[in-house]
Amino acid sequence: MNAIAFSGVTKKYGDVVAVDGLTLDIPIGSTVALLGPNGAGKSTSINMLLGLLRPTSGDIKVFGNGPDQAVTRGDIGAMLQEGSLIPELTVRESVDFIRRLYPDPLPLDEVLRMADLTDLAGRRADKLSGGQTQRVRFALAIAGGPKLLLLDEPTAAMDVESRRSFWDNMRAYAAQGRTIVFATHYLEEADENSDRVVVIARGQVVADGTAAEIKSGVAGHAVSFRLGSQSAAGLDALPGVSAVEIQADRVTVRTGDPDATVEALYRKTTLDVRDLQIHGADLEDAFLALTKES
Amino acid sequence: MQHYLKIELLRMFRNKRYVIFVVVFPVVFYLLYSNLWGSEVDQATGVKASVILMVSMAAYGALAASIMSSAVPWAQERQSGWLRQLQITPLPGWAIITTKLIASMVLVLPSLLLVGLAAVLTQHVSLPVGEWFGLIGALWIGVIPFVALGLTIGSLLPPDTAQPVAMIGMFGLALLGGLWFPVDIMPSAMKSIAHVLPSYDYASIGWNIVAGDAPETSAVLGIAGWAVALGALAVLAYRRATVRA
Repeated sequence: MNAIAFSGVTKKYGDVVAVDGLTLDIPIGSTVALLGPNGAGKSTSINMLLGLLRPTSGDIKVFGNGPDQAVTRGDIGAMLQEGSLIPELTVRESVDFIRRLYPDPLPLDEVLRMADLTDLAGRRADKLSGGQTQRVRFALAIAGGPKLLLLDEPTAAMDVESRRSFWDNMRAYAAQGRTIVFATHYLEEADENSDRVVVIARGQVVADGTAAEIKSGVAGHAVSFRLGSQSAAGLDALPGVSAVEIQADRVTVRTGDPDATVEALYRKTTLDVRDLQIHGADLEDAFLALTKES
Repeated sequence: MQHYLKIELLRMFRNKRYVIFVVVFPVVFYLLYSNLWGSEVDQATGVKASVILMVSMAAYGALAASIMSSAVPWAQERQSGWLRQLQITPLPGWAIITTKLIASMVLVLPSLLLVGLAAVLTQHVSLPVGEWFGLIGALWIGVIPFVALGLTIGSLLPPDTAQPVAMIGMFGLALLGGLWFPVDIMPSAMKSIAHVLPSYDYASIGWNIVAGDAPETSAVLGIAGWAVALGALAVLAYRRATVRA
């Protein structure tokens, strides 16, 4: 059984289509990054998973049930994009309150430890920094021991150091066999912390696989050289080439197989190749290529 | 849900605005007013002003407590995302508004009891046991329309608007309902406004009880009618505030 199954889900706000026929299955136990630019439909999808928004059409199942039922059963925990705490309550009080709402919660001390809050447990929420507040919100999300954890741009308010420990904590939670879906527009985060990256743009899945697969599937490498006044005709027919771009007197050839492309460039063309450079594509290139407005 | 109620009470007792407006104000004003006029006697009923003022200030405190503990905290929770935090837990939606209602009613008790205590200790007010229970009980149950009003404000308005509206509503109801000055000394236009307000019905039930009379039927029906009307409005507003698009 899948933890999450979207089938043909569309969400419209008036004329604006936020999610456009999304179909996506996420198996139990996986850690999936929803990667996409702002406005791609990531938050809308997460809010629909939680029953906070209703799809305009299509169907969503969470562990085989509708989102409302999954929430009622305590199957889902989430850290939404914004949210503050009750200012007069201490960290321990807030976390304990939320955890007691779930049928099978984690022990309080374990939740505090997993969110690095043991030393802050007695502090009131109005005395916390932004990064500390995020940690409490993470604690609230895992307090009930949910089988599915949804994180919507969880590191937005964090500095580099707290980001690192946040992802360590997230992986520790994932290691207990739980399913995790997080939305981010940071490529590095998706690359380092997930075992599957789903790239979303304009409300649709535009790529789906491991970070390595997505890198190699798009463009792969870039071979560029000074073309001068010579014609670029025929370059797109070289082996492995997926695209040819010309900027000023330089041409850049996108290729999945740079060795074959370069060999053919010297042997099978009469071009005078000067100043050759080969770049390995990174996820950034892949991401930009995938999410570019068509 | 018990734990939710405990959490709601705990946070309000730590809230300075609640403690000042609700717990300190009514007692301080009672002490002030009863020192000035406490020994005067009402001509119509023969009840000492120290007793009438006790009812008025207890009623004001309860009114303030019920609106202050509902409107603004609820508006803030909606805007800050705390409501959504609760909506994604197994806590059912009806439990939120029910807990808010119960918590507000509990938070009314400190002002009722403290004003009563101040009256007994400083003005040596004494009432038959039955009247004490009747008075506290009536003033306690009678806050339902005001809690409903507070929850309606909190459901419909963002916190920075809910704050002044709740304040104006609270002082308006207290002032025009005759809690600060007797309705009898008001000009006739204000007097007729006072008579249709729930705050007047509410306090007059208390004044009747301490005079040894049964509450007037019109006041009881008035407060019950307001409770039903504002209660229905609160439920509608709550549904609107928590609707899932």
